[in-house]
Amino acid sequence: MPEELIDKVKQLIIDALRIEGMTPADIETDAPLFGEGLGLDSIDALQLVVAMEKEYGVVVPDAATGTKVFSSVRSMADYIAEHRK
Amino acid sequence: MNCFMFPGQPLTCGTDLPDDSDFRAIAAMTRDRAFFDIEGFSWVGNAATDNVKLQVFGTAMSLYRFRVLRRENSLPDFVAEHSMGIYPALAACGCLAEEEAIEMTFRIGACLARMGEIRRYALGCVVGLCREPLLAIAENHGVFMANYNTSRHFLLAGERSNMEAAMAEALDTGAFSARTFPCDAPLHTPLVGVIDGELREIFADYRYAEPRTRLMDHINQDCLEGVDLADFLREELQRPVYWEKTYRALRASGVTGFIEVGMGDSLKKYNRWIDGEMRS
Repeated sequence: MPEELIDKVKQLIIDALRIEGMTPADIETDAPLFGEGLGLDSIDALQLVVAMEKEYGVVVPDAATGTKVFSSVRSMADYIAEHRK
Repeated sequence: MNCFMFPGQPLTCGTDLPDDSDFRAIAAMTRDRAFFDIEGFSWVGNAATDNVKLQVFGTAMSLYRFRVLRRENSLPDFVAEHSMGIYPALAACGCLAEEEAIEMTFRIGACLARMGEIRRYALGCVVGLCREPLLAIAENHGVFMANYNTSRHFLLAGERSNMEAAMAEALDTGAFSARTFPCDAPLHTPLVGVIDGELREIFADYRYAEPRTRLMDHINQDCLEGVDLADFLREELQRPVYWEKTYRALRASGVTGFIEVGMGDSLKKYNRWIDGEMRS
């Protein structure tokens, strides 16, 4: 996985969720995004779904897929790399 | 202009509680007027349900956060509220004393909890569907829209078995997520009408001062006056919360800064979503 895409995904999370005072370097690539990690919730998840679709044309069709995709930055980047148009 | 937004019942209690004189004062009021020990998260008198604990906890923490903001010389031009956030919002506007807001939260929570002794109810949080298909789903299963938070975030309420069926249909219809949460009463629905008389008596026990700060209601987006409050408090428990309309009305009134005064950041997240749609 190119580091460049990993960094772009981190920036997408910061921008879409308007996380103040955080840089891509502050987000761990393999840490969980929900619960213990960044502490995201279903409101954030839908915001990320929309941002991924807008930025990469990638669709996350349902919550089951979302649970896998949003398990970490790396899994988001993997999904984007596989599905982007 | 800025707006202090008071959120409703939190889903969980916080783990790191503050330790300063303002928090201790609020904690003492909560023990005295709601028989609830915030630090131990336990009842010290007549026990009520876990939902009532969270409701009282939410009010107490909002009151504490408001004290902290006031200490920092941060005061609101507008106050808005979501669901049970109305009680600390009333204290922030000077309509009630802090201890009255805590007591009112406890009394209303305990009154609502009695509904749960007769029937089992649930709330359902649906993310991703828009309003029209969800209204049809609610009608199919005899449940009600309780919160219109954004164009894609809704809360439904009703009897638990009906809610479970409604959430299953929401997922089948393409909701991104649909989860049920057990609750004492179907807040913000007409089903609460069965305790209307008890609610009326509780709200009649208080004298409401005129709001010192403009207080926008979440039903009609009007600024409430002291004379409206007892009726509004009763009515709002039986009608949906229209948060998106409220946020848009505040924006249209010239509010540019929003501060969430309580546990969590759900309102801030709803606003973020609405802002995104307003820009596009």
